[in-house]
Amino acid sequence: MLDLLTDVLSRVPARCSYAEARHVATDEEELLVRNATVDRIASTSADGVGVRVRSGGGWGFAATREATRAGVEHALARALAIAASQPAAPAGPRVPCPPARGHWASPLERDPFDVSHEDKLELLFAAEQALRGDSRIVRSDATCESRRVQTAFASTEGAACSQERVECGAAISVIAVDGDELQVRSYPGAHGGSAACAGWEHVLGFDLAGNAPRIAAEAIELLSAPDCPAGRRTVILGAEQLALQIHESIGHALELDRMLLLEAAYAGTSWVSPADLGALRYGSQHLNITADATLCGGLGTFGWDDEGVAAARTALIEDGVLRAALSDRGSAAAIGLAHSGGCARADGFARQPIVRMTNVSIEPGEAGTLDDLVADTDDGLYLETNRSWSIDDRRLHFQFGTEVAREVRAGKLGGLLRNPSYAGVTPQFWSGLDAVCSRAQWRLWGVGNCGKGEPGQVMRVSHGTAPARFRDVQVGVA
Amino acid sequence: MSLVTRETPLQTAQRALALAGPGEVQVTVVRERSLMSRFARSAPTQATAVDDTTVEILVVREHHAALAGTNRLDDEALLATARNADRAALAAALGGAGTHPGLAEPTAPAPPRGGSDDDEAQLDPARAGAALRATFAVAAEHGLEAFGAWTAGAVQTAIASSSGAQLEEEVTDSFMKVVCRDGQGRSGYASATATTADAIDPAVLAARAASKVRDAPAAELGPGSYPVVLEPEAVGLLLEFLGSLAFNGLAHAEGRGALSGRLATTVAAPAIDLSDMPLSARTLPRAFDLEGVPKASLQLIADGIAQAVVHDLRSAALAGAGTRSTGHAVAPGGAPDGPAPTNLVLRGGSARDVEELCAPIERGIYVTRLWYVNTVREKETLLTGMTREGTFLIEDGQITRPLRDVRFTDSVLRLLAATEALTREQRLVSEGEFYGRRFAYGVLCPALRAGGFRVTGATTT
Repeated sequence: MLDLLTDVLSRVPARCSYAEARHVATDEEELLVRNATVDRIASTSADGVGVRVRSGGGWGFAATREATRAGVEHALARALAIAASQPAAPAGPRVPCPPARGHWASPLERDPFDVSHEDKLELLFAAEQALRGDSRIVRSDATCESRRVQTAFASTEGAACSQERVECGAAISVIAVDGDELQVRSYPGAHGGSAACAGWEHVLGFDLAGNAPRIAAEAIELLSAPDCPAGRRTVILGAEQLALQIHESIGHALELDRMLLLEAAYAGTSWVSPADLGALRYGSQHLNITADATLCGGLGTFGWDDEGVAAARTALIEDGVLRAALSDRGSAAAIGLAHSGGCARADGFARQPIVRMTNVSIEPGEAGTLDDLVADTDDGLYLETNRSWSIDDRRLHFQFGTEVAREVRAGKLGGLLRNPSYAGVTPQFWSGLDAVCSRAQWRLWGVGNCGKGEPGQVMRVSHGTAPARFRDVQVGVA
Repeated sequence: MSLVTRETPLQTAQRALALAGPGEVQVTVVRERSLMSRFARSAPTQATAVDDTTVEILVVREHHAALAGTNRLDDEALLATARNADRAALAAALGGAGTHPGLAEPTAPAPPRGGSDDDEAQLDPARAGAALRATFAVAAEHGLEAFGAWTAGAVQTAIASSSGAQLEEEVTDSFMKVVCRDGQGRSGYASATATTADAIDPAVLAARAASKVRDAPAAELGPGSYPVVLEPEAVGLLLEFLGSLAFNGLAHAEGRGALSGRLATTVAAPAIDLSDMPLSARTLPRAFDLEGVPKASLQLIADGIAQAVVHDLRSAALAGAGTRSTGHAVAPGGAPDGPAPTNLVLRGGSARDVEELCAPIERGIYVTRLWYVNTVREKETLLTGMTREGTFLIEDGQITRPLRDVRFTDSVLRLLAATEALTREQRLVSEGEFYGRRFAYGVLCPALRAGGFRVTGATTT
């Protein structure tokens, strides 16, 4: 395929100053056991080619499922016609990048596509059965997913590379209802669990069946638990909720295209401006954030991004001070950077690359384990597992809900509290960070439903987190 | 081009069905051709053309359904896909009794539908370029920058099944949105949704968006409850959420829906009359759902009283008592999250315009659109989200000043119960979001005035 793409690109007309072609083949599989039966067992294979060109200052992109010479040539011609039809605009600069060459594959022990349906269903049935038993549980789910993405990328600047990523994940969840009260509980995380760029060993590590009775019991307990009280409180966020907190109030806010107003009509802008880089205090001195596409196991891990820029690790926030943004070749050039941040990513062959998160993580602190952090807290709340999320279009004012909260009194965890929620303003919230658990508690959390772009693109990213403590947080807003 | 690309989607579905061999099989073929052109700061940014066809083969064995899909149309790929589905259904059957009720009974082929536009003309990139130029010109006249997107699509859907279904239709759609913005970051929004690009005037949209950029300092409102006027874009998004929280027959049958135990009771103000009207030409019409069940109008709320929920084949079977699919499957074999209404229509009221809606309000909020809305508690239809690009303070019956965007946390059903008036005019609105395979849908609704809109926060500088 690389030879075909390279050959077609060698014939682009002279008026075309840049062209790239990306072949993407995606295999996906999803199994869901619900309420004691197989509710869904589905697989999809799709492949095609997306061609992006720059001609006369305008950009055009055309995608086709015809991964043949005729198909790619037709897509190239359509992309050129689209570029030519655009209103005239100055050709913005792009930072240079060495031509990507070679092949990269994500490491794994056991390919999830080699595990039979029967073995997967056996694991899911065992977990789902352990969720049932109380008539108030109206839905019990055990699910797993597998994904393989093979990409070949070529450009008129000499790039010719290929890569293969394999991902998988699994989750269990229950919905319990008693009259007008409805509660949910999930493991290892909400919204489909926590996938990783890894093999089936990642799924086996969850021990779904072992955790199922606890999840079910907590959902039932929540039905009659006290409501989480409102007030300004010290809050310890569980690692999974902290992943979404970082995703929404740091990751998206630091996308350079948003700062440059290029996403103003959809995803939004940012409260951060390019002029803030290197100077803005984003949070307390305990806040250290990196974007790292080289991390083993991350959904934002790759060999090259979808502009052919090599994977990199970038410090975004150091000791609470903003140092860098997430960028692609165009946005980096727009603010005078020398290099792209390597954050151009596309959802399949039929979408063009846009600025995306890779693996945006908080670096571990020195607060020990979660038990140590609780023991160090006199009065507060522990919030775990995301249930709802919302943030404004500048990524400044947010509101989250979690599945559970627990009171923290004199260094000990109390009983469950239901319907917890908290709200804040991004820099004030992160200024309240006063402790992050240590590396032993740090792990990657996959977020598989990040929407951005038009037409819409769903991106899969990971966030490394450990439980962390925040002071003076407004709780009980919903 | 190869021979297979000249097939119609229905011919492809029939070929795949023949390759799948005997058994209970449904083949769904969807071909998307679309064009999306984005812009920011009055310049084009990204333009995306898509031409893709997906084939999904559903195999049912011993009441277990399995689905396999591909976008390769050669016989070898279709045969392999059918075998994948069959193997998966067999594996599922090893787990015990299945619950799939079987494929839909065949129905008479629906008449061809879709927009009147010629597809190729609709997808001409020159048309997108002209729309952008017209928008930029109007924004410049107002001293503003334009941001937004223009898009058009033609999606053909065909279903062939072993039970005898032979269905094919095309849905064409177009959507444009314009955000006008000044140097201080003040912005205004306008959008339009239609079955053809001809029905959308970019200059009119740009002028409407520009009119919402007011050269005045923004007022602030603290947390509390306020009278509110919601434009159709805001009403439509709330109704979309209501569609999944209240009218999802699967959630209802499982006892977790917002209307569980509340059908035939008053859930909204008497002026609220909500239906799903998939055959109405004022929506984005569809003749059948993705299980091949014919679509028809369904009253959901009449005079404030909850009437019905929507079903696909599986949710209807779960509901029992002779419940039948209402033609609301959104995936072959039914989606795991259940059925959904896709052509919601909220009846208009008697108010002449939004100014008349504002007139009785002493101090309240005017909302153009909502953003990042998400569910807080499902059974209460409790949502949270932000206002965006056109939030104003209403004082003494008139829109007086821009207002800083506010966060609301409120129940859709409570807002409908507190609805006092609606405009006569309805508008087809959508978010214009096209994730995955293009599936255009919108809500036809008026603007409305409601009491007690619950504000829980506001943006800061």
